[in-house]
Amino acid sequence: MNIAVCCKSVPGLVTDLKVGSDGKSLQYQSQLLAINECDEYALEEALVLKKAHGGQVTVISMGGIKSQDVLYYALAKGADKAVRVDCDSHDPRIASTVLAAALKKLEFDLVLTGTQSRDTLGGQVGVAAASLLGLPFAYAVVGIEVRDEKTIIARKELGGGRYADLELQLPALLCVQTGIEPLTFVPPARRIRARQQPVRSFSVGELGLQTEPLAPKGYRILSVRPPERLHQAELLQGSAQEIAAALLTKIRESV
Amino acid sequence: MARAVLVLVEHAGGKVDSVTSQLLTAGRQLATQLNGGLVALVIGHQLDGVVGALKISGADKILRVDDPALASAAGEAQGQVIAQVARQIEPRFLLIGYSLVGMELTPAIATLLGINAFTNCVNVEMRDGAVTVTRPLFDGTQHAHIALDESAVIALQKGSFAPLEPSTKEAAVETVAIDSMNLPSRSQVLAIIEEPAGDVDIGKAEIIVSIGRGIGNEDKIPIVAELADALGGVLACSRPVVDVGWLPRERQVGASGKTVTPKVYLACGISGAIQHLTGMRDSHRIIAINKDPNAPIFGVAHIGVVGDLFEIVPALTKAAKEAKSLRD
Repeated sequence: MNIAVCCKSVPGLVTDLKVGSDGKSLQYQSQLLAINECDEYALEEALVLKKAHGGQVTVISMGGIKSQDVLYYALAKGADKAVRVDCDSHDPRIASTVLAAALKKLEFDLVLTGTQSRDTLGGQVGVAAASLLGLPFAYAVVGIEVRDEKTIIARKELGGGRYADLELQLPALLCVQTGIEPLTFVPPARRIRARQQPVRSFSVGELGLQTEPLAPKGYRILSVRPPERLHQAELLQGSAQEIAAALLTKIRESV
Repeated sequence: MARAVLVLVEHAGGKVDSVTSQLLTAGRQLATQLNGGLVALVIGHQLDGVVGALKISGADKILRVDDPALASAAGEAQGQVIAQVARQIEPRFLLIGYSLVGMELTPAIATLLGINAFTNCVNVEMRDGAVTVTRPLFDGTQHAHIALDESAVIALQKGSFAPLEPSTKEAAVETVAIDSMNLPSRSQVLAIIEEPAGDVDIGKAEIIVSIGRGIGNEDKIPIVAELADALGGVLACSRPVVDVGWLPRERQVGASGKTVTPKVYLACGISGAIQHLTGMRDSHRIIAINKDPNAPIFGVAHIGVVGDLFEIVPALTKAAKEAKSLRD
């Protein structure tokens, strides 16, 4: 079974996040991009399925040259091939259009993605790409069982401790939930070796897309700012003992 | 007449989910300002109970798509049905709950309709003549305010709006037929599974002491478990703790775990991802201990401590034990 895994590169450790001078964007110094955690679970699941059923795992990421690091990381984890699409957009409609076009260039039976990225918290691109490609899909999948070459069973979360078991015909796209498999550690030596492997890259034009329809439309970002808090938390200060005494009083009077 | 605001009704097991009434509140505000109607769309099979409950929900009209083919329809077919209806209604906006169901359907519907979707929204309101949504970025530490110039799907977090007051006037119910023969059948729901009850029911606890990613290491869990014991509460956690296998799923608070409303919710090392806040924000008193003063958990906490949980928690355990021995 050939599996394509979509992995977004997101800023790694950011400690200096602030709103840009235009008031509409976010700025940070961090130059390090890391694999989006939700997507790393999709990659782990793909590798587990490959081990059990054979086939190849192709990892695909959208972004500039820096996002190539995430692809090398995926190769070090055990992905067979890596593809980068040279396009940087946070707009889910654009991202899914580009990703769907890139997936068309690949051979796959199954596409796996995570549920959302930690920077934009949108959670749209996987299912939107499936809809563009006309694939059946499921979101928040916690278990995958391969029934035969043409069919899989996926268990997905419905929330509040309820699940649905679905039968899906391949090819299909699944957005997997975090925790579907434990994350594995990659030794640094393997990460270094992985950098020698080739990464295939596509420009938007090479995917047969015009750049003009790939501009955001229909909305305007007015501002980005820290959330307005409904109420200000009462902040306790002092030594650990003083804080503990105050907390205990608050807890006692609440129960 | 101006175009309507369409609200997708979420229901399961013959019951309307509470998010629907919240969506209707948001929808009513928009509909009034846009001078259009408020229409509730319910899709599924054997919907008499659901439609009956919706009649005085405050919507002007209920659209009912009731078809045996929808009994086991998965997201692909559901999305196509909703898009089919939306093409007929041409609503100005379609409001959906940002639940696990809505997360799946929203991008599918928007893609089929060729319009934008804004997910994870905490607010939608008219601002300077434009419908404006508010949605979080970057783990919820920032909010984007976005003006919408075209029709869009808006997926709202549960709890963003109060429920709509029931109406004294019954809404008209219109049955909408769909082309069920041509629905995609490549994905089907085989069964709905309820998670078996575990050893503890965190939903019944009066005091919950909850841990998140900030616990750092499995070995540290007993430190917080001891506090839960000393306070007579139960230990719970956020999703990452379950994902790495440190605590069982039955202890998880949040969108995919349990929704809890204890008298005291003490969050230790929980940053406050939206999925977590959804499950605990209605607790009577929320106390948060976190190193990061910008952690979103402080946005819902009544009492906050910016500091190291490994200093505060043992001190609190000690104080609780001393107080208990004095009383005994």
